[in-house]
Amino acid sequence: MIIQFALSAVFLGALVWTWRRFRQQALRRLEAFVWSALWLAAGVAVWWPNVTTRLANLVGIGRGSDFVLYIAVTVLTVLVLHLHVAHDKLSREFTELVRHDALKDVDRS
Amino acid sequence: MKIVAVMPAYHEAARIGTAVSHVRVCVDEVIVVDDGSRDDTAEVAREAGARVLRHAVNRGQGAALRTGTDAALKRGATIIVHVDADGQHDPSFLPALIAPIQRGEAAIVFGSRFLGVRSEGMPFARRVLLFAARQFSGLVLGISRRMTDPQSGMRALSRDAAMQLRWTQDRMAHCSEILRMVSQSSLAWTEVPVQIRYTADSLAKGQKATDALKIVWQLLVRSIS
Ligand SMILES: Nc1nc2c(ncn2[C@@H]2O[C@H](COP(=O)(O)OP(=O)(O)O)[C@@H](O)[C@H]2O)c(=O)[nH]1
Ligand SMILES: [Mg+2]
Repeated sequence: MIIQFALSAVFLGALVWTWRRFRQQALRRLEAFVWSALWLAAGVAVWWPNVTTRLANLVGIGRGSDFVLYIAVTVLTVLVLHLHVAHDKLSREFTELVRHDALKDVDRS
Repeated sequence: MKIVAVMPAYHEAARIGTAVSHVRVCVDEVIVVDDGSRDDTAEVAREAGARVLRHAVNRGQGAALRTGTDAALKRGATIIVHVDADGQHDPSFLPALIAPIQRGEAAIVFGSRFLGVRSEGMPFARRVLLFAARQFSGLVLGISRRMTDPQSGMRALSRDAAMQLRWTQDRMAHCSEILRMVSQSSLAWTEVPVQIRYTADSLAKGQKATDALKIVWQLLVRSIS
């Protein structure tokens, strides 16, 4: 029960936040609707877990919360890998800069 | 024929003086790349007779070797040797390392710790680690099975090889990267036996077993990027 109220508060806050951003013209109306749908769906999943369970059963997973967890882990893994690749690229560019500086006084003789 | 030694160094003030003066007598020029050390590595190396370049920020052994190799090419080197700055590489092996390139038989020569000459005091755990590293090298990286030492840091490159092999792994994974590049190129390569000194202080400061995992991780990140 406590977790359901806590999560609901978070999603409600997110909903309010989203429309405030819309009023500040930081989001377009369509974007605001998509985000709202996401928060509402999250709210539905919290109060009626059967919905996610039915979705989970569709793909052969037993429990709704497992279904949500698998999706979350997958998304997070992809994000973390993406971050590492971006970091790798940045540090290579940084090395080029440091190298350029180290080599600037080297001459033939 | 101009032979240039490139020595990457990070916090080696205590050891680099002797290392440079021993290497200097075997080559025409010594280039030390001080990789953002906060001790006297640069001054000590300069006093011992090396030309010193400096990375303003620590970028790793692979990055420092690439910088030093570029500098050696700029200075007209025909043969470039990579030697550690902590005195673990015995310079008496340098003539043998360079010879195949001088004879025109190879473009790159790797010093191997596993070709007959026994390395002094190598711990058993390190042997096991090197075996695991070889399996990974073959299976995942496609490094030639005939290469006997996956983490050898002592190598000699012809000018051509130094220009062609542009490794981009900045830290310890450059060893594997170079072996892989050579395996998949048409460069002629060979190995010669070298002996590495495992002294207490070089082991204390050197690579740990967990660093092997870092190397694997760095190679994997690069392979998906
Ligand atoms: N340029 C540079 N050299 C490094 C760095 N870490 C180690 N080295 C040098 O690389 C050589 C070998 O390093 P070491 O840690 O002893 O590795 P090990 O001999 O394989 O255990 C030594 O000459 C070190 O000074 C680094 O971050 N940058
Ligand atoms: Mg060492």
